[in-house]
Amino acid sequence: MDIFLQQLINGLTIGSLYALVALGYTMVYGVMKLINFAHGDLVAFSAYVGLTIFSQLFGSSATSFVSVIIIFVLTSIIVAFVGVLLERLAYRPLRTAPRLSAVVSALGAALVIQNGIMLIWGPNMLIFPADLLPNTTWNIGGVIITFTQVCILILSAVLMAALYIFINKTKMGTAIRATAIDQDAAKLMGINVNRIIMIIFIIGSILGAIGGLFIGLYYRALIFDMGWLYGLSAFIAAIIGGIGSIPGAMIGGLLLGLFNALIAGYISTEWAETFTFILLIIILIVRPTGILGEKTAEKV
Amino acid sequence: MKKIIKTLALSSIVTCSLLASDVVKIGVQAPITGKYANEGQSIDNFVKLLVDEKNEQGGILGKKIEVVTCDDEAKAQKAAVCAKKLVNAGVIAVIGSYTSGATEAAQTTYYRNKVLQTSDGTSDSLIENKYWTFFRNSFPNSSQSDFTADYFVNQKKYQRIVVLSDYSSYSDGLGTATEESLKKLGANVIFRGKIKSGTQNFTAVLTKIKAMKPDVIYYSGYYTDGGLLRAQQLQLGINADFVGGDSNDNPDFYKLAGDAAEGTVIINFPTPEILPYEAAKKYLAAYKREFNMNPPSIWPVTNADGLRAIFEAIEKTSSLDTKKISDYIRNDMKDFPGITGPFNIREDGERVGAKFVVYKLNNNGTKDVVGQ
Repeated sequence: MDIFLQQLINGLTIGSLYALVALGYTMVYGVMKLINFAHGDLVAFSAYVGLTIFSQLFGSSATSFVSVIIIFVLTSIIVAFVGVLLERLAYRPLRTAPRLSAVVSALGAALVIQNGIMLIWGPNMLIFPADLLPNTTWNIGGVIITFTQVCILILSAVLMAALYIFINKTKMGTAIRATAIDQDAAKLMGINVNRIIMIIFIIGSILGAIGGLFIGLYYRALIFDMGWLYGLSAFIAAIIGGIGSIPGAMIGGLLLGLFNALIAGYISTEWAETFTFILLIIILIVRPTGILGEKTAEKV
Repeated sequence: MKKIIKTLALSSIVTCSLLASDVVKIGVQAPITGKYANEGQSIDNFVKLLVDEKNEQGGILGKKIEVVTCDDEAKAQKAAVCAKKLVNAGVIAVIGSYTSGATEAAQTTYYRNKVLQTSDGTSDSLIENKYWTFFRNSFPNSSQSDFTADYFVNQKKYQRIVVLSDYSSYSDGLGTATEESLKKLGANVIFRGKIKSGTQNFTAVLTKIKAMKPDVIYYSGYYTDGGLLRAQQLQLGINADFVGGDSNDNPDFYKLAGDAAEGTVIINFPTPEILPYEAAKKYLAAYKREFNMNPPSIWPVTNADGLRAIFEAIEKTSSLDTKKISDYIRNDMKDFPGITGPFNIREDGERVGAKFVVYKLNNNGTKDVVGQ
């Protein structure tokens, strides 16, 4: 039993990370009908930015709670800025262009960011310091949970809840939902669509940045092309949950993490990924719109 | 028009060969960038150090030596491209690569073009083709696995053993060889698993292993994953010894494992710092002077030995004919005084004379020898 619970915790941790990253994909798609393929690399970029801020500001001195907060805040600001810049340069000029052009532009942006990381930080593996967060672990009836895992689980849950409330209970959230349904009508109602899209990119980038920092803190090894790996998994998570649906991205991320951990733990480690994706294909065959995706009537 | 082209082509070939005759080119094929960059850069550095020394002494057979480096990123596809590049550059010998996979991918090209190749790759398959152009400057997996099995069974008396590897030809080969050697000694291997290098998240397989209550987890892959495996093993509260194969022996292992590095055991050649040989003292001091650090592991040093053996053979045979050089290294070279100890090369290209050491890692980045 404790082994099963341990696998559950493992799966939920990585699933939460996928969910945080998946939210960025799903929000941008919801509003712009565009898959932002550069999002994964932005996540990798944020891990590198966090590491640089740490080494520049705090050196290798023992870190405090405050310094970790500073790293998170500064990284979020920088990555949000880059996210907005990305939208300005790569997507806004193509907003009325055929959808394929925007997708190609997104893939191009992903390569630019990935190679940018390689040029700035070099192609070699960088390593996050091990003592940024306390190395405390709790043993609850044979199930081990670390401080970092608790942080990941709690913070991602809080962020997702906050996002859900923001989208559903605020005026700005209503404007975002309106834009997602029909951009032209939203414009006629006096909604500044450019501003809404900017806000979407800021929120998505900040969530991605926090995901990226946690990936760095939890796994510690950074390599310049890791964005692709996490980006692809998160993108699949968003598809499973129903692309465009915010709760869907959360559920999709958690499911992907859980599937992978349980299959690896109980069926086969070597085949875990293959089986995970077979399962996901089955889900999509049964529900092509994803778990929470809604059937939208095509305008004829 | 055709005639003109022919004469041009001919004359260019002639000038090329004329130009080539007063330099000897040595190739380096190594992962200069990517995951194993610190190993690859060190191989390149060591080769350049030895070549500079030779050039200061007036070159080899009166000719200056030039180094041509190609970055294979430890990837098979890139290695194949490198092989063509280095052959076209006209090198007579290639040092590297660091990984068995990248070495194997380039082997045939060198063989067809009669270019010598020496590598630290430990896959047994590297000498299966019996190419006369290739010789190994380290030990094969099979010899390491026998040593590991003996240490596990006769010294440590482990009852429940887990063997993990990644999917690379080196790591998978060493894992399988170790499992076989263990079974030969009647040991109980309770699990043989594989992880995907670079995925970073090994908690699922480790949790599975936790339920089996092992005494020891043996990992035959590279330090980039080994350090993370060790950290996550302790995080999950798995009270088993962690023993790493030779490729875990790298300073980055400490950085990745953090506090978890303490107590890890690594089986490898003696590290450069403790090599007791005359040549070792001289060359490692020179390396430190030149690059302000020690080589990250033994591998750049075994590659340097490979190059030194080639130099020795060129001088002894007074020839740049690769076949003659290879014959000398295989048949006439006796107990070559290597930086990594005296060695001979067998007819099939295998290094004879390899000594293993068991290290225990401490947190401050030092190692204690706990077995030989």
